[in-house]
Amino acid sequence: MVKLPQIQRGKIYILLAVLSWMGLLLVNLIRVFGEINQMEGVISKEITWVLEILFFIWLYIYFNDSIKKNENRNFIDFIWRPASTGLIATGTSFLIIFFYYLLGDSRLSKDLLLMNFFYHVNFAVVSIFLISTTLSWKHLILYQKSKAIVQQWQAYEVILLISMFFVLISQASFNYGFMFGLIFLIIYGAILSINLKWIPYLTFREKWKSILFMVIIIACTVYLFFRLVSYTQQNIHFVNLSENLFLLGLFVFVLLYAVFSLLVTLFNLPTSSVFEQKLTEAISFQKLSQSIKPGENEEQVLDILMDSCMSAAYVDAGWLELHPSEPEESSKIQLQKFISNGERQEVLELLRKVEPFASYLTKRSGIKKEYLYGQIPHETYKSVLLLSVSVNKKSLGDIFLLKEVKDGFNKEMINIITTFVGQTSISIENHRLLNEAIKNERYREELEIAQRVQRSLLPSELHHNNSFEIDGFSAAADEVGGDYYETFRFDNENFALIIGDVSGKGTSAAFNMSQMKGVFHSLVQLNLSPKIFLSKANSALSRCLEKNNFITTTYYTINTSMKEIHFARAGHCPTLFYSQGKGCSRFLNIKGMGLGIVRNEGYENYLEEGYLKYQPGDVMVMYTDGIVEAKNQENQEFGYDKLRLLLDQYKALSAREIKSKIVDEVYDFVGRETLPDDDYSILVIKFNA
Amino acid sequence: MLTINKTAEKSHITIALQGEVDASNSVELDEVIQEALDDNIKNILVDGTDLQYISSAGLGVFMSYLEDFNEHNILFIIYGLNEKVMNVFHILGLDQLITIIDSREEAEKLVHEA
Repeated sequence: MVKLPQIQRGKIYILLAVLSWMGLLLVNLIRVFGEINQMEGVISKEITWVLEILFFIWLYIYFNDSIKKNENRNFIDFIWRPASTGLIATGTSFLIIFFYYLLGDSRLSKDLLLMNFFYHVNFAVVSIFLISTTLSWKHLILYQKSKAIVQQWQAYEVILLISMFFVLISQASFNYGFMFGLIFLIIYGAILSINLKWIPYLTFREKWKSILFMVIIIACTVYLFFRLVSYTQQNIHFVNLSENLFLLGLFVFVLLYAVFSLLVTLFNLPTSSVFEQKLTEAISFQKLSQSIKPGENEEQVLDILMDSCMSAAYVDAGWLELHPSEPEESSKIQLQKFISNGERQEVLELLRKVEPFASYLTKRSGIKKEYLYGQIPHETYKSVLLLSVSVNKKSLGDIFLLKEVKDGFNKEMINIITTFVGQTSISIENHRLLNEAIKNERYREELEIAQRVQRSLLPSELHHNNSFEIDGFSAAADEVGGDYYETFRFDNENFALIIGDVSGKGTSAAFNMSQMKGVFHSLVQLNLSPKIFLSKANSALSRCLEKNNFITTTYYTINTSMKEIHFARAGHCPTLFYSQGKGCSRFLNIKGMGLGIVRNEGYENYLEEGYLKYQPGDVMVMYTDGIVEAKNQENQEFGYDKLRLLLDQYKALSAREIKSKIVDEVYDFVGRETLPDDDYSILVIKFNA
Repeated sequence: MLTINKTAEKSHITIALQGEVDASNSVELDEVIQEALDDNIKNILVDGTDLQYISSAGLGVFMSYLEDFNEHNILFIIYGLNEKVMNVFHILGLDQLITIIDSREEAEKLVHEA
């Protein structure tokens, strides 16, 4: 498939337009020639009309096409184009007159054929001017278009198209039908011409330019109209090309829109600067409200703020004084604009003496109002506006704005400036919050890592053999906790078991817990008796724990062939033991002392070693103080008795079930919604054989 | 909540603890004891009659001064603990290191004997 390039399309339209114009010229020349020589009915008028219509249509399509390509031009271009075309058309018309002036009274000047040729040239330039201008107007009318306006314009184009053919229907000039059509076109054109939304967007300079161009366009239109009319009146032999509804309609439309634009632009001139000011304010506001991007800092925002404030109120000079973040530091002067250090000192001296500034500046108390406004007796600067920029209710700094006129700040200016300041505060606050959030996120990630590491410190599997079941549970109050339990297998029948609780909770407890784990794994290999084990652990931990930290723990060794348990208690909660033989639970309360409390050789004296033989069906519950000290909403503790009674109740269940029952009971007691305030750990052993 | 009242008497000072000692306020307790040490006071009584709860952090405070008390020959007595709090001291084994007695009278008697 052959695809025609874009550029050639325009050329084709031009070519077709030129061809139809030449056809028109030829046909009319032949007719005039025939009339002169009294030959009748050579060529019918219809052919002329059709060729004229074709010419209009090609021109319209061509200009429509070329304007579309330049959619992004500014408004002035759209006015300059018709103005220049109008000048060219007018110029051409003048050249023709000048040509006839040169000819004087010669025979050639009376020649109808030549005159007819120039008539056609004139007609062509007028058509070009009118059609190209109409399409420029179209672009302006459709600025900020709504659906309704687009529809209106499309209807107008259809009406114009119909009006071209009107001449074919009714050839009698200026009959009622023609007049009605013309009036309709005028009214419709006038309605379209009220779409002047582009005018406020012109700058002051552009408005003047636009007025100039509009005047040119109006002058050209009027001149060309009368020129065309005079041609027709002088030469009755010609086919009247201008008596086409389309052409007349365009004349009216072009003129109307130009006049409307001219008037509106003219009346817009005085308010132009206000509109421009509002536009810059809107842009400033947008700049300030955009949150500070990564890589930018607060100073850049403050800089924008200063510039915005100064342009919003036509401020002559100003500076920003940043308050120190630390009380010892002195204030920092920043963003000093259009004022020297000397003058600034002078003004500041004056401000310290003049109310309302004096009380604020000397006391450094917060401004109750958003701003302070007053006059000073300075030789250059007469009025002062002082604003305080605060972030998170903390004052960041003061903005001083000076004007050389008295009462230089009106209410609107102060309003917009305080809005700017408010927006800046929000921007900076957001910026700081974001930074903080990023930092917190990092801490949170670190804590998550710590949590994972600590979880891995607790055993995932507990050593045991067929003689007993064992199950454990641990939950930390914070992200990481200080509870610890672990098992160790010496051989098939001998096991070691430890449960511990580090004083305090949270991160520091977690660190100490990992030390405890290290100590356990080092000492357990030595297969020591519980008392010796704890004494050595105490000696090791005394060297690493902080002065006011201690660890409570109970260490057990279990021999399943002898069915005996040895244990020693280092200040840890007494083990709860259910004895099948006795049919009840009791706490194994033996003497003991927390690890790290007595940091010398005497420690062993405070320990006692317990020994017991177990039977199948016996249950041992090891736990940390978080369980018995868990508090409900009435501030009552879960307590030892409740725990003991629970075991009496559930002793027949498996180790896993007993553990779950106790844990559930504790959580129910505390309330599911309340966050635990201590670490909970529990370990249950049930002896089967 | 913890309220600490310090009353100085001729022979000793009494630190009365009221409420709960936990990780958040154990520092206050620490400060009071440190002050007493700095003032070279030889007899320190702690009135635990209204002490409802003491956490491991609170116990840690007492524990951390045990050495100082020994070194400077300071008589440190806690009295009036309720059963629950006493049990906490007992489980940890601190009752073996600190003189814990029932009543104020006994405590003062001990001070006078010393």
